[in-house]
Amino acid sequence: MKTLKFKQILLSFSILFLSFGLFAQKQLITTDTHIRFFSTTPAEDIESNNYASTGTLNIETGDVAFSVPMQSFEFEKSLMQRHFNQKRFLNTSEFPIAQLVGKVEDFGKVDLSQNGTYNVIVSGEMTIKGETNSFREPGTIKVSNGQIVANSKFFITLAEYGVTFSGGKPASNIADKVEVTVVAEYER
Amino acid sequence: MTSKRKKILKIAALLAIAGLLIGAGVAYYMYNMPHRDVQSTTTDYKLTVSELINEYANNQDAANAKYLAEDGNSKILEVTGEVLRSRTNMNNQLVLVLQNPGDIAGVNVTFGEQASQETPAVEKGQIVTIKGVIRSGVYYDDNLSMYVNANIDHAALIQ
Repeated sequence: MKTLKFKQILLSFSILFLSFGLFAQKQLITTDTHIRFFSTTPAEDIESNNYASTGTLNIETGDVAFSVPMQSFEFEKSLMQRHFNQKRFLNTSEFPIAQLVGKVEDFGKVDLSQNGTYNVIVSGEMTIKGETNSFREPGTIKVSNGQIVANSKFFITLAEYGVTFSGGKPASNIADKVEVTVVAEYER
Repeated sequence: MTSKRKKILKIAALLAIAGLLIGAGVAYYMYNMPHRDVQSTTTDYKLTVSELINEYANNQDAANAKYLAEDGNSKILEVTGEVLRSRTNMNNQLVLVLQNPGDIAGVNVTFGEQASQETPAVEKGQIVTIKGVIRSGVYYDDNLSMYVNANIDHAALIQ
């Protein structure tokens, strides 16, 4: 009787540890990221960089998510950074975090134990300034000696996120669609 | 044309040119205005990492309203806490993660480009005080299923 109890305790403990172990391995975290956006018009090129985002990648399901602190976007010109943050543009004091939630559709073909660059499709939803839109974009997952780096480049239409310019300088100097580049190195 | 009228026209023309020059000067200055120098700007709040985390945990909206500015020039903080880890980001900037034992989350502190080069090596477990500008607070992210750390950047080590 005594030994049975001991065995039961041992078993439940090992299940507990096993599930912790699985949980820890399942979800990879990244805080080493670079999100850049680039807008080009005949009048001006505008670039902004953000190195402070946090993300996760579930290596069983291919689920991905990113949390992007909007005030961490840095511009070369302080005036542009000011405009970017203001209410009529990205309203970052009210919406300080942008979100990306999605899934690597073809994650099954990514072999994390094999070095290589895998072309994938990521689809899901992005929420910027409180507006949510769906997306489906190509990207790559690069595996080299256990290191996992995700990469994607796509365009977003500013008007879909409630960022519109009715006239004046912003309308002529900011493109309707801006190019977004995402790089994330995951911790193992 | 009387000489008096001529004189008035001349003055008006001069004033218009002066106005244009001043306008262009102001526009040029605004366009090229330098970024705020965080390190030489007065600190708004001095607090511990735990205090900052708790403020956000208790009322995220109130904390955002207190710390985040509409034009992006948010509050400048001096924050004291324990170094959990130290790393370099993709822009070669020093990042210290400050988190006190027992807390649900911490603060990612990204150093300014110059400070990143000049800051001596910091050990895990060391208690440090940094000065920087807050960019986002701590919150539980349902999509990531985790607490996301607060962000401070343009930072430098105070002690």
